Amino acid sequence: MFSIEFLLNALVAGILLGGFYAAMSAGLSLSFGLLDVVNIAHPAFIIFGSYLTYYVNEHFGFDPILAGLVFAVPSYFLGVAVYKIYYNSFEKTGAESLRGLVFFFGLFFLIEVILIITYGVDYRLVRAFYIGKSTSIGSVGIAYRLFVPFLVGGILAAVLYLFLTKTFFGRAIMGVAQDSLAVQLMGVDPIRIKTVAFGIGIATAVIAGSLLIIIGPVEPTIGREYIGRVFAVTVLGGLGSMTGTLVGGLILGVAESFTSSFFGPSWALAVSFGILLICLAVRPSGLFGR
Amino acid sequence: MRSSTTRTWKGPTLAHSIVVDNVSAGYGAVRVLHGVSIQVNDGETVVLLGTNGNGKSTLIKCIMGIIQPDEGEIYLEADGERINLAGKNPEEIVNLGVALVPEGRRLFPRLTVEENLLLGAYREEARRGIDRNIAFAFEAFPVLAERKNQLAGSMSGGEQQMLAVARALMSAPKVLLVDEPSVGLAPILVSRVIAKIRELKEEYQLTVLMAEQNFNQAVKIADRGYIIVHGEIAFAGEDTEALAGHELVKKYYLGA
Ligand SMILES: Nc1ncnc2c1ncn2[C@@H]1O[C@H](COP(=O)(O)OP(=O)(O)OP(=O)(O)O)[C@@H](O)[C@H]1O
Ligand SMILES: [Mg+2]
Repeated sequence: MFSIEFLLNALVAGILLGGFYAAMSAGLSLSFGLLDVVNIAHPAFIIFGSYLTYYVNEHFGFDPILAGLVFAVPSYFLGVAVYKIYYNSFEKTGAESLRGLVFFFGLFFLIEVILIITYGVDYRLVRAFYIGKSTSIGSVGIAYRLFVPFLVGGILAAVLYLFLTKTFFGRAIMGVAQDSLAVQLMGVDPIRIKTVAFGIGIATAVIAGSLLIIIGPVEPTIGREYIGRVFAVTVLGGLGSMTGTLVGGLILGVAESFTSSFFGPSWALAVSFGILLICLAVRPSGLFGR
Repeated sequence: MRSSTTRTWKGPTLAHSIVVDNVSAGYGAVRVLHGVSIQVNDGETVVLLGTNGNGKSTLIKCIMGIIQPDEGEIYLEADGERINLAGKNPEEIVNLGVALVPEGRRLFPRLTVEENLLLGAYREEARRGIDRNIAFAFEAFPVLAERKNQLAGSMSGGEQQMLAVARALMSAPKVLLVDEPSVGLAPILVSRVIAKIRELKEEYQLTVLMAEQNFNQAVKIADRGYIIVHGEIAFAGEDTEALAGHELVKKYYLGA
């Protein structure tokens, strides 16, 4: 028999992990969910963010969260550049479906290879005062290395939610994939909207990368483990819904936590694909999909 | 070209008209318009009559910059200034104060009614009057207020048409183009939408160009009109009687 204590600990660990999963998936929910850009390189940008964070933490003792936030700015422009290449090479000519996918696949491996060449295949980690410490409420332990990413992930999802639903620009992002001519008829350039939104998506990936390396050590190819996860969260939550992304992240986190508690950590990776398949079969629009 | 005084809805607005001069246009090898010239003067409501496939939407798309004419000129005359619309894209033309209620409505189906209206007010000039305009839209079409949190795609056809008109007006336009508001609507709804367009036109002091094939509805609102046949202007009626008396109208629209 498993004790209540054991179950509670698994639940809390899952919820904390889920907040981080939401942060990882928020940017994909923007690009894939709202812009119809199947950016499978998203996890690679997350790992890229981890290494940027690692670099300034290792050499200058920069706080990882602060590093993520600072690097979000240049990463936004990197995202803008990537979208411009993607748009001019594929989307403009209507060749995005297959060749665009290959483009992002290529980008994924390019980033991996660059990281391997630069840093090798060893695991890297960061130092911060909150890493390694924990507190407990009753018998439930809360590790700060999980709690901080949970908090930042929740804030990120909330900020994006407000941006999308309460600003003119955000509403245009929500509308642009539904009808780009209609967006023009509102006096807005749809390409500009998509470019900015994609840039924001990459910026959030880099922030998520700083969270990832707080949670645990990172190596260049670890992004592969997250492809299934980010797509599972995005689809489960409902494409383009930030509320859905948060809830989807929490569900995946809890499901993975229980799976690894009961069956061992090696099963955790299968959970995301299981959720993805069930969701596509039962409710393709996701929990909060419109 | 913008007035320095703040825009008031009932106060004197500045003159805005559309001039289409000898325009030819089409889609690739398909030639649709052949030397079309029309004019919509300030404050007028002009109807563009034509049965299916004669080029009404094509002409409207040319004015809106959705397709570019091969020949001819299109101007927006604003406060005595002539602005050439050729080469401009739709968003630039919208920002000059021209709004379109497009064929097929083109709402954002997975945005709510309110979000659709708010997107309509995207342009800078429209944001200032947003509260007032949204209140006015809700007053003109109470059903939109009742359903403001409903997704646009789940509204009925008539409700969607009302939303499309209201959304176009949210951009605080000076010129309103309406492409067949009657399509797919029951006669009673057509009457209501047309009546509302007339009311809104008065309220906003709009210049209106409306493409229609429902003659009986169109004359309720039009000052005058053109009949377009196979991409050419077959007749320019100086008033609605002239239009009603024309043989083409008798033949195609009045069932004579
Ligand atoms: N995108 C397009 N590509 C090719 N041909 C087109 C296209 N759109 C319209 N046409 C053709 O142009 C002609 C005029 O079409 P248009 O849409 O302007 O007609 P309309 O007067 O608006 O008709 P309706 O009342 O049915 O809307 C038609 O013969 C149509 O088949
Ligand atoms: Mg038409």
